[in-house]
Amino acid sequence: MSEEHIKVLLAKKKIDVHGRGSKLIARELRDAGMEVVYFRFGVAEEIAEAALQEDVDVVAVSIMTSGQMQIARELVPALKKRGMDQVLVIMGGIIPEVDFEPLRELGVHRSFPPGLPGGVVADYIRENAGTVTLV
Amino acid sequence: MTSLLSSKFEAAKEAWAARRARYASRLRPASTVSGLPLKTVYTREDVTGSDLDVMPGVYPFTRGLHPDGYALTPWMQQMVFGYGTIEETRQKMEKMVAEGMEGYFGHKVFNTVYDVPCMYGIDADHPEAVGNIGQCGVHMSTGDDYDELVRDWELDSTNFSMITGDNCLPALALLAAAVERRGEPTAKMHGNSMNWYPRIAVQDVPSWEPQWGYALMIDLIKWAKENAPDWNPVNIFMYGLSEAGATPVQELAYGLSWGKSVIDAGLEAGLAPDDFIGRLSFQIGCTVNVFEEAAKFRAHRRMWAKLCKDAGVTKPSHMHARVHVHTSGYVLTQQQLMNNNARITLQTLAAVLGGVQSIHTCSYDEAVGVPTEESHRTALRTQQILMWESGLRDVADPLGGSYFLEKLTDDMEAEAWKIFDDLEAAGGYRRGIETGEVKRSIDNASYEMKKKINSGETPIVGVNRYVSDEQENYEPFRIDESIEDKARTRLENYRAKRDQAAVDAALVDVRRACQALKDGTGPLMPALVEAARRGATNGEMMVPMREAFGWYVSE
Repeated sequence: MSEEHIKVLLAKKKIDVHGRGSKLIARELRDAGMEVVYFRFGVAEEIAEAALQEDVDVVAVSIMTSGQMQIARELVPALKKRGMDQVLVIMGGIIPEVDFEPLRELGVHRSFPPGLPGGVVADYIRENAGTVTLV
Repeated sequence: MTSLLSSKFEAAKEAWAARRARYASRLRPASTVSGLPLKTVYTREDVTGSDLDVMPGVYPFTRGLHPDGYALTPWMQQMVFGYGTIEETRQKMEKMVAEGMEGYFGHKVFNTVYDVPCMYGIDADHPEAVGNIGQCGVHMSTGDDYDELVRDWELDSTNFSMITGDNCLPALALLAAAVERRGEPTAKMHGNSMNWYPRIAVQDVPSWEPQWGYALMIDLIKWAKENAPDWNPVNIFMYGLSEAGATPVQELAYGLSWGKSVIDAGLEAGLAPDDFIGRLSFQIGCTVNVFEEAAKFRAHRRMWAKLCKDAGVTKPSHMHARVHVHTSGYVLTQQQLMNNNARITLQTLAAVLGGVQSIHTCSYDEAVGVPTEESHRTALRTQQILMWESGLRDVADPLGGSYFLEKLTDDMEAEAWKIFDDLEAAGGYRRGIETGEVKRSIDNASYEMKKKINSGETPIVGVNRYVSDEQENYEPFRIDESIEDKARTRLENYRAKRDQAAVDAALVDVRRACQALKDGTGPLMPALVEAARRGATNGEMMVPMREAFGWYVSE
């Protein structure tokens, strides 16, 4: 998918404070040539609905004040329910590294620690968007 | 004598220039994080414009608020904590007291952070609370919760700092009702309401529409003045600015502009300068850039004192910028976690050299999640080592008179006034929230900083220098998801035993009082206190408030 237009839904929970990381990654993905829709959600179901309406290639969830497991548990089935089983799902932020594998088992393709250059995330998206299936 | 000194100095300078002549042109010019140019050496020529004829404890307080610095009493150790329900947090409170955490003259100081559902104003049974209940703060929403918070603590010698969000007024009402149930007057309450409404300029959470945000802030100030005169009703959250990406100079400028907006709102509401300005206080960030941060605190005290004086404050102690430092969490890295202990030590050093009144030290694992018992204790011990082993507190303002520090203090002040004056000319901080100007400037600064980190121009050990591929696999402190059920059960039990008709009636009164506040015909806080007495919860009180004061999302 490397040469194609890539559209990303960048989701952050409304009550999740401190948007520094999510806004930086929004800018850095934009710098990498992607279209980014910044979306504030209340419950995970709303992410899936927005992803469908915006017809995105990637759903990225930014986490600051916890809740990654509960979100993943609801988000992945909600996406599949809407037939979006080709969408790439990633997470990033204040997430313990030891949660990355359990998140993968829930269907989150990849999780990223905070502070990385956005280019690392963009490279991963370019390599994997359009090539994955939600399990 | 003067000419003798200066000829000696001229000779020294010549010798200095000769020593460096061969390589001087190859030196890369350095600058502070705020972008102020630095020289490699400072001399008395750099301080000719500085006012060095100042003493600690005397206006403009550049050298500190107290004549003898920390000699009479050291800074307060105010560790932020709070998780689970009040039961878990209560255990933590007792543990921290046992660990020796204390404030001025041995007072207990509890700097308690609420979870984000409480801050936002939703109870545990709200669908949007899932995943966040009791996670990054304590979930406290009922009268029972607050009874447990205050149980057995002596109100005369215990400080409750409540790190709230938009639930600031309901939280204070719930505390007041709990104090009354103990049979004690609210006048005995000591502590702090954050009253951080202006944080919406930088923290990306929905909140009140700006005009009502300020009205609510003033309503709390007025209630506290009448009912809890020792209570600190407003904290100016400069930490929020720097954590969002403001440089130290921007943090000074926007923070003081924020403070001025509170002063202006109070004066407009008819309060007298000496009646409320002396009760305002600050929470400020502190990065690892030791000298820039120490200079920031010195400049901050002097700038605030001047603003207070200009606003008509007459009592010198009411011009005090009382500062709590929360060491920056943004500078901590998830890569090579233990390195963060070195960063935290430097941050604390800078705060102490800057002469602040109170410190929270972050824990090294906060880049991963909520601190463990061990990392939280180590963070507290870091303060205590600086307090008792380092000799740092023996002498007031030990950097005072340093050519470099005095020059840096002056330069940071001058740069900050420029930004401050521009913002004031454009309508002030409140207008800066409405237009998004403050947020845009800070977001842009954050982006520029990140680009410098990505390119390696700003070195971060473990991130762009000395990088390791080894997995950390650090197991952070976990708050079990079952805490959500426990919080919901506590809420259900509480609701089952109260007089629902009384609660409903009280909430009708709250709705009416919200309208009165909007119309300028009456206060809101008394209706909230009454609702708290009758058993209304944090989330229930927020419903009519949200309806009345709008729900403003700035991004």
